[in-house]
Amino acid sequence: MKNLRIKLAIYCAKAVSVFIQKLKKGNGLTLPGYVARLIEPHILSILAGMVREKIIVTTGTNGKTTTNSILCHMLKSDGKAVLINETGANMVNGIVSAFVLATGRHGFLDVDYACIEADEAASVHILPLLNPHCVILTNIFRDQLDRFGETDSICNMIQKAVSAVPAAKLILNCDDVLSYSLASKCPNPVITYGISQQIFDGASRSETRESIFCRFCGKKLEFSFFHYGQLGIYHCRGCGFSRPTPDYTAENITHYDGLYSFYINGSYIHSNAHTAYNIYNTLSACAALCSLNALGTDFKSAIESFDYGNRRENTFMINDASVQLHLAKNPIGFQQKISLIVNDSRPKDLIILINDTALDGKDISWLWDVDFQYLLKAKIVTLLTIGSRRYDMELRLKYEDIPCNSASDMRSAIERLTISGTKNLYIIVNYSGLYQTNALLEELQSQEKGGLT
Amino acid sequence: MKLTIGHLYPDLLNLYGDRGNIQCFIKRLQWRGIDVDIVSCPSGSRIDFERFDIVLLGGGSDREQELVCQYLKKVRKDFKDYVEEDGVVLAVCGGYQLLGNYYKTSSKTIEGLGILDIYTEWSKKRLVQNIILKNPFFLNPIVGFENHGGRTYIGNYTPFGKVLFGLGNTGKSGYEGVTYKNIIGTYLHGPLLPKNPEICDYLLQKALTRKYGGNIRLTALPDSLEHTANTYIVKRFARSF
Repeated sequence: MKNLRIKLAIYCAKAVSVFIQKLKKGNGLTLPGYVARLIEPHILSILAGMVREKIIVTTGTNGKTTTNSILCHMLKSDGKAVLINETGANMVNGIVSAFVLATGRHGFLDVDYACIEADEAASVHILPLLNPHCVILTNIFRDQLDRFGETDSICNMIQKAVSAVPAAKLILNCDDVLSYSLASKCPNPVITYGISQQIFDGASRSETRESIFCRFCGKKLEFSFFHYGQLGIYHCRGCGFSRPTPDYTAENITHYDGLYSFYINGSYIHSNAHTAYNIYNTLSACAALCSLNALGTDFKSAIESFDYGNRRENTFMINDASVQLHLAKNPIGFQQKISLIVNDSRPKDLIILINDTALDGKDISWLWDVDFQYLLKAKIVTLLTIGSRRYDMELRLKYEDIPCNSASDMRSAIERLTISGTKNLYIIVNYSGLYQTNALLEELQSQEKGGLT
Repeated sequence: MKLTIGHLYPDLLNLYGDRGNIQCFIKRLQWRGIDVDIVSCPSGSRIDFERFDIVLLGGGSDREQELVCQYLKKVRKDFKDYVEEDGVVLAVCGGYQLLGNYYKTSSKTIEGLGILDIYTEWSKKRLVQNIILKNPFFLNPIVGFENHGGRTYIGNYTPFGKVLFGLGNTGKSGYEGVTYKNIIGTYLHGPLLPKNPEICDYLLQKALTRKYGGNIRLTALPDSLEHTANTYIVKRFARSF
């Protein structure tokens, strides 16, 4: 009876997925999971039990998707079959969908590894169901405060989630005092990674920092330097709490021709990473795989062949113009994108789309925590704001004396700027705009290809 | 002319785009050719209220407010004198709560500055949403975003505004914030000032008048974008009035 119910759950979920795709209504990444859980509430634990080797969950504010993609790429390069959840489908239903839709005809999973990114709040429910072998905590920054309340609440949620699976190894960034403080309150074995070299530039550093007061004695922490946000090398004069020597680190980091190279685990890696924060993402994936004895023999070429431009940072060619799409959903993430734009020395145009749906966070106050003044010197010719909060975005820029205008239609804005602009267009969107903008760019790009042949 | 703005404890109270309020003060002074000096007063630093023309107290988490409390105790008298001498204060969210006698959280009672005879009590359901107020003194509605677990009881003080949309001080009273002399205490993030330039200019004018005397009139600025952003929120959330 139980078996039948599992099969029925999987069958119905797949049918729903096919139906949604036929209708072309949305991406169909969460409803199948919802349906499967309605029929068999334990479906996730059951399917997770079918994963042959290990389950790795990645959570935290920024870098979840990239870290998860790196893990998946490295494991696949090592010949493993890997299950992964799609970009952004990181709540319970999205994760259930990923498992259910990965099953074969008879309702069984045929995978060695499952690499799952989990939303910080949803991880409380997800971790006990998946019972992973290791949890990567990327970092904790202020994010979606209308949903989370305050950054402390995010820390408490993650602590609760990780403590519920005490056998899982907790892999965390020890340069982040919030993550490292939280770890001491979890019963899990802890493995740290960090960077001791100062590699982040001024434009990426961000003046907005989470409270840098010791979580144990309340004294203000002293920092030798900051990487960005509150990440840095810290110690407490009150109780001696300090940033530890990381178990895993990236060393001799160099930036040449726009790309970063570094040593990890004794190998010199010429990565395709354009941004310094991707070194953290790579390092966290390596630390996790090392801790599971799963770092492939040829991990160097696996990393070197990884394309960091996943869907969130995609480049398109439209009307002979290069168009880059970037996601920025919180101040720290946005600051990294500004640094990227400033470091591109060519003239450029920029479109910023800011929505305020529940997915984005209804409170857009955080735009004022981004240091936009660096854009003054970024050779931006035309700057347009779009989205339900385009006036707020325009206002934010007005208060840095940065000239800009608002526009109501993304398609016409892209067409105009790719035809008569600098041929170097950046588009930064927050969450809810990502899927549609990506689809629009794909459409515009393929139209052009169709026209050429 | 020149104004000096004291930003109290930015290392502890810096939630939700508080910097936007400072940026708004700075730019609206600079655009009028008035000099401005921002004095950042991190925890532990000596605070000289006599230097200030405007004091800004931002929001923080419950844990951070507790830390702030120990520093505030030391400046309570100076702060109170500043307020009674018509010093301009903008206190947002956690800062607003700290002006009162106490903030009773789920687990403890955080002692406030006691500058105003008001108090705050924590309640489980956070009040989180866009908010629109009307204050008859200002032409335009006041728009912002509220996000607070505390309920603030203001007794007989004058509120900052009547709630047209949203929840306000207690979720029930129908009013938001508090005003006293040249203090505005409010839960409104957004941040408050950029989309409500009238409030910004009101505070600037009070500060300039206090410092230089006479009848100072601020020159008008082209605020059409500010009004567009304000009206967008009003139309979207409060179609009914």
